[in-house]
Amino acid sequence: MRIKNNFLKQKLLLSIALLFFLSSNIWAQIVVTGKVIDTENQPVVGANVVVKGTTIGAVTGIDGNFSISVPSSSSTITVSFIGYISQEIVVGNRTVINVTLESEATFLDEVVVIGYGTVQRRDLTGSVTSVKSAEIKKVPSQSPLEAIQGRVAGADITKNDGSSSSGITIRIRGNRSIGAGNSPLFIVDGIQTSSIDDLNPNSIESIEFLKDASSTAIYGWQGANGIVLVTTKKGSGDKLKVDFNTYYGISQVSRYPATFTGQEYAQIRREAKRTVGAWNSIADDPLIFQANELESIQKDEWIDYQKELFRNGSQQDYNIGVSGGGDKTKVYFSLDYLSESGILRMDDTKRYSLRMNIDQNFNKWIKGGIQSQLTTRDESYRRDPLNMANKIIPFGTIYDADGIFILTPGGGNTVSPLADEQPDVFKNEARINNVNANMYLELAPIKGLTFRTNLGMNIGNSRNGYYAGQNSIDRATSTGSQARYSASNSRFINWDNILTYHKEINDHSFTVTVLSSIVESLSDDVLAQADGQLLSSQLFYALGNAPTNKTLSSGFTKWDVLSYAARLNYSYKGRYLLTLTNRYDGASRLSEGNKWTAFPSAALAWRIVDENFMKNFSQLSELKLRLSYGVAGNSGISPYGTQSLLTTVPMSFGDSYFQGYTYSTLVGNVDTRWELSGTFNLGLDLGLFKNRIIVNIDAYDTKTTDLLLPRGLPPTTGVEKVNQNIGSTRNRGLEVAITSVNMTKKDFSWTSSLTWSTNKEEIVSLVTEGADDIGNGWFIGQPISVFYNYEKIGIWQTDEAAEAATFGQVPGDIKVKDQNGDGMIDAVNDRVVLGGQNRPKWYGGLDNKVSYKGFDMSVYLFARWGQMITPSFLGRYDRQSNLSNSSKAIDYWTPENPSQDYPRPNANISGSSTLYWSTLGLVEGSYLRIRNLSIGYTLPKLSTLGISSLRIYATGTNLFTKTKDSRLDEYDPERGGGESSPMTKSYVFGLNVSF
Amino acid sequence: MKKILSIVISILFMTTSCSKMLDEYNPGGVTADAVYTTPAGFESLVSAAYGYQRMWYGKEEGYNISEIGTDIWTSAAGDIGPDMSKYINFQGTSGIIKLQWGALYQGVNLCNAGIKLIGKAGLSDAKRKQLEGELRFLRAFYNWHIVETWGGVHFTTEETNGIVTTANKTPVETFYTQIFEDLQIAVANLAPTTSDYGRVTKPAAMSFLARMYLTRGMNAEALAMAKSVIDGGFGYQLQPDYKDLWTMANNHNKEVVYAVNYANDLTFNDLNHSGVYTIGHGRGSNSGHMMFDMKYDNLPRMARIIEYGRPFNRYMPTRALLQMYSSDDARYEASFREVWMACTSANGKPTAGGWSISGDTAVIATRTTYAGMPSKVGKTTGYVVYNINTIYKADGSVNNMLVYPTLTKHEDPTRLTYNEAQSEREAFVIRFAELYMIAAEASMKLNDNATAATYINVIRTRAAKPGKVAEMQITPAQVTLDFILDERAREFAGEQLRWFDLKRTGKLVDRIKALNPDAAPNIQAYHNLRPIPQSQLDAVTNPDEFKQNEGYQ
Repeated sequence: MRIKNNFLKQKLLLSIALLFFLSSNIWAQIVVTGKVIDTENQPVVGANVVVKGTTIGAVTGIDGNFSISVPSSSSTITVSFIGYISQEIVVGNRTVINVTLESEATFLDEVVVIGYGTVQRRDLTGSVTSVKSAEIKKVPSQSPLEAIQGRVAGADITKNDGSSSSGITIRIRGNRSIGAGNSPLFIVDGIQTSSIDDLNPNSIESIEFLKDASSTAIYGWQGANGIVLVTTKKGSGDKLKVDFNTYYGISQVSRYPATFTGQEYAQIRREAKRTVGAWNSIADDPLIFQANELESIQKDEWIDYQKELFRNGSQQDYNIGVSGGGDKTKVYFSLDYLSESGILRMDDTKRYSLRMNIDQNFNKWIKGGIQSQLTTRDESYRRDPLNMANKIIPFGTIYDADGIFILTPGGGNTVSPLADEQPDVFKNEARINNVNANMYLELAPIKGLTFRTNLGMNIGNSRNGYYAGQNSIDRATSTGSQARYSASNSRFINWDNILTYHKEINDHSFTVTVLSSIVESLSDDVLAQADGQLLSSQLFYALGNAPTNKTLSSGFTKWDVLSYAARLNYSYKGRYLLTLTNRYDGASRLSEGNKWTAFPSAALAWRIVDENFMKNFSQLSELKLRLSYGVAGNSGISPYGTQSLLTTVPMSFGDSYFQGYTYSTLVGNVDTRWELSGTFNLGLDLGLFKNRIIVNIDAYDTKTTDLLLPRGLPPTTGVEKVNQNIGSTRNRGLEVAITSVNMTKKDFSWTSSLTWSTNKEEIVSLVTEGADDIGNGWFIGQPISVFYNYEKIGIWQTDEAAEAATFGQVPGDIKVKDQNGDGMIDAVNDRVVLGGQNRPKWYGGLDNKVSYKGFDMSVYLFARWGQMITPSFLGRYDRQSNLSNSSKAIDYWTPENPSQDYPRPNANISGSSTLYWSTLGLVEGSYLRIRNLSIGYTLPKLSTLGISSLRIYATGTNLFTKTKDSRLDEYDPERGGGESSPMTKSYVFGLNVSF
Repeated sequence: MKKILSIVISILFMTTSCSKMLDEYNPGGVTADAVYTTPAGFESLVSAAYGYQRMWYGKEEGYNISEIGTDIWTSAAGDIGPDMSKYINFQGTSGIIKLQWGALYQGVNLCNAGIKLIGKAGLSDAKRKQLEGELRFLRAFYNWHIVETWGGVHFTTEETNGIVTTANKTPVETFYTQIFEDLQIAVANLAPTTSDYGRVTKPAAMSFLARMYLTRGMNAEALAMAKSVIDGGFGYQLQPDYKDLWTMANNHNKEVVYAVNYANDLTFNDLNHSGVYTIGHGRGSNSGHMMFDMKYDNLPRMARIIEYGRPFNRYMPTRALLQMYSSDDARYEASFREVWMACTSANGKPTAGGWSISGDTAVIATRTTYAGMPSKVGKTTGYVVYNINTIYKADGSVNNMLVYPTLTKHEDPTRLTYNEAQSEREAFVIRFAELYMIAAEASMKLNDNATAATYINVIRTRAAKPGKVAEMQITPAQVTLDFILDERAREFAGEQLRWFDLKRTGKLVDRIKALNPDAAPNIQAYHNLRPIPQSQLDAVTNPDEFKQNEGYQ
């Protein structure tokens, strides 16, 4: 194994980080001098003073002074600084010009959406990261989360795979729960939803990530995994605004591991036979190869299936957004069409979505509105052909001399990976419809008091149709074609009523929020399946005609949650901020008597910068300390998880059917309670040089107790497990976000932002009371998911034959460490928790944006570091090599090649019968990549055409990736280990127009 | 304004009136209270109680635990449980052990529940008597598998209620007391015949009881019980020709006393299906047809075809087993394939399902030393011979784990495609022939070798090749324990009895040391019991009382 020294990379990162703190200082000749101050009489350091229409410019010094030479008295100088309103001053005959700059609404005045309300950033007490529309639009993607990967400290976002319909996984501050799920709660315009993948990034105004318990406590149940709040766009009012956004891109497989070529495969097969004495030289080839294989070897003919399967994928999106309205009405409409074709044929997704948002002021104190979206998706899936392509023996041809497709090209029984692409062989498609509508009415009858009622509904239905012919990959090992139709229907209702009262008395400011909430989810589904469809053209539409193996099932699920909550926001002089929250939740899925619980939290913030003693630190524009503690919950188990249910068993006597009902392997537990997470969060917000540099640091410590675990019961009970509140975990972490305006000039600016997060996850206690739970793979003091196995230390070499023999092994076998040194290897004493975990030690992103005149460019680096993975391709080794091909990365041992990586090929022993086989292929998956590289050009105003702005851009995604371990040189580690649906890189060209 | 406020506040707290919403509604799920208290529902319990047998009989894990790791079988190249087959690092972490342990205790738990609840089901007296008999038989059947495999482990006649985290250690004797009690009730209650193939009958329970008596050394009782089945007029008879036992068309024949049923409609069987049948086996129906096949399909001039099966290449005979059959014994040819014909397709090109057997020999794997003519290898004619000395080394250990005489008893040429993993073949549990062997073994133990020889000769007469009946007869003097074990190997090889036979006779270690050189170096006396699954040991809260079987880690 060659692990490259990563010192250089770290050094590179460090120096890039240092660049933040550089700003430019350019001095000019002295003709006009002056001082730039702010409204509080403080000098403004680093302000730009530019002679309008020229390149002549100056920057104010530490005392706010500047001097500049101007061409004439009619010249105009522009004085600007980030965070202030620019001023233009005609010089006239003055030689001294003092300028007072007024602050513009700044970063600190930015409105941040929190649960059931909004606050200004300066008043925020919790840990909230806000991402605005411009950032979300930047990486053209299907899903908004994919677009902002790495831009949010504390949110670990990964794409599941490279298929066109791939989902996104997001973990906020690591995993807390073992059994109850770790996905955050998504809330769109105040209404809960299970996923935001259907939202078009263009229709989003902002996304807020609520991370600490004080922020999430108002959502009580499900708050434990963080909250993702999405606000969609609102109408612009009077002014009609039309935005048109489109992009087109092509995608290609980014990095994908090859298999052995025909000759390499022939060689490993010979080696496997040689080991057992069945091959000694090329002369023995006829004993071990079929006649057609021999011919292929001699002619060096073999099939590169990967090449045959991959194509260029494409993505295109057309989005039109119209916003307008009148005095009292604001409307926003958008229409979006997205089409994505994956890098494998038959992997296609099309999405159509319509959005309508209306806000209406009925009178002075009543307003209301609706946010609605209709989405319909057509998705086509493919049965993964790559696992076949990667193992099929590569000999033979795809088509015969007559151009007819050969189903089993090797001459044996392995079906061609291309089988499903043939006409009428395979179809797997889904149609997914979602309607979201959310109405609100807001009353403000007296000053400071508002009452808002929100009613949201999500109606979903989807159907999946599957047909696999006898000659498809799926059915080649069974009899006859198979067709399946499944459908599901769901309704989700969320009704919130929120009463808010705001009052200011002298220096004291109060906001009280009281609310109630009802959530109900209903769903049912049906599945029908049968084999032996007569006509392939009928696909899954004529199941009644399929004669055999008819299977039917249907199901129903319902759950409800009722909640009440109250929150107090108190501020004294805007300096001392306090937030107190309590929420009381009842969940149907928990057992009687345990359904209700309370989720209290408290947060304090101190805006130190506003204290008098800070007056002298004029460079500091923000200094705030935040401290919070709160309890969030997770109801965790699936509905009916507390009940002891029977499960159906098909049984027959003779050829007749007899219905059987037996106990389910999950026994009900009437004592199931809420899973609780208590989190301390300490945060620091720092703004320097009028917030040119903003630093947010959060440290947190979460203890999750009463963990809802599927606890393994002794199998002697006749059941396997029960959901119980046992055990606890702890997550500690640190998040840093830095944004910096490095340089700002007329026509030129450079900004950077860096996010960096680290999280340590560990199990604190388990039901096994102090002991590890080996059966479930849980270990005290270790992360939830670890690698527990023998420790591979190499391959037994020829000169170690005698020692190997004492372990019953021979040279070429896998050598593992005898941990207890008793001279034998056993599962109980010699398996250990191997170093590493499956979550990264840290991850982060560095974004650099440069703009010059109409041009803009950004480079976005993303790194995920320290996670261990077991990629399938490093385990894809057929030791016998008479059944299948192996990955090219397999450096196998032979007497002539003393590899320490993989055991000797052996025709007699399959992988599953090889001792310690599972120790192969564990590798560190750390990587650094240029996630995104964009260049854009915004044309000057084209008022004549009614165009207010027009930008064209080109973006490359995942163009460059560097992995820490060289064994991953041909693999994209974001995929996490899988071989199916490889990750892609893409080149996208887009156009944004506003009228 | 006050009005508005009061409306607002009442809306805000109106949800208090909705707290009924928190009661769970689950129309699709059913509970024991609802189902098992009706006659039809109770019958569904009994049907389900039979289902757990399918985890053992006709399944890979079942073969591994009951047939392999003995004197007559060893690992072939595809074996996924070599730890168990060859006793190398064999521990409670074995997945095979875990699967069987769980299924058996689930079966016992359901039987316990049924026997307890039967009075509340509203059954007619006759029906109640019959169903209790079936449950008693099944409980005895499962308990026997448990106690023979693991010894004095957990035992209970109570069904599990709520969360139980302890397990007990109960003496073997207690198990058998219950087994005998249950079987006596079963024999008394059960009907002599059934129209439901696979449902237990009175003579099936009697036969199993005979096996139990023999197991416990109650030889007089064993002999009497075996005789009462043999002479009981239940209509059983040995198939005239041994090979007829194994044809698919003859699955339901008069020699079958008890079998685990698999239906021809595969959805009636036990394949795990996500969403429909989640506790099924990952490879449903009878999968015995794939386990013993040698790896023929990539040999020169061969292709995979329905007749020769889907070769999982898991297990192969020991050299000793192949040599136990005399040349007069028809059972060898009826049990093993030695010759594979070349496979051709209509147009000479590879197409799925288009291959058929030609008249031309391609491969011979033989127990003889025949060398033949391995000429023109890889060309259009000629064949390759693997004789006993290329398959095995001189000491009997395996040389070639891919090519060997293949057990054909479980093959199913009626499967529709060559890769179809599911077979409807019934898994025979008790054949009429076993009653003769029980009677013979019991007689020998009672020092009546003459009677023993008489019973054995019934079996050997049927086994003889045409005209070889006389040569196959044995004399009383020839009857020894080893002879009986050899005879049982010849008669029942591959029928999931071998491990129990060796266990019962105390010959496991001796015969493995003598006859299975691949397992011989590792076999120890403690292997007479299997290890308790690690998952069980990890889960119990009384680990000081409930310990691993001796010898295992």
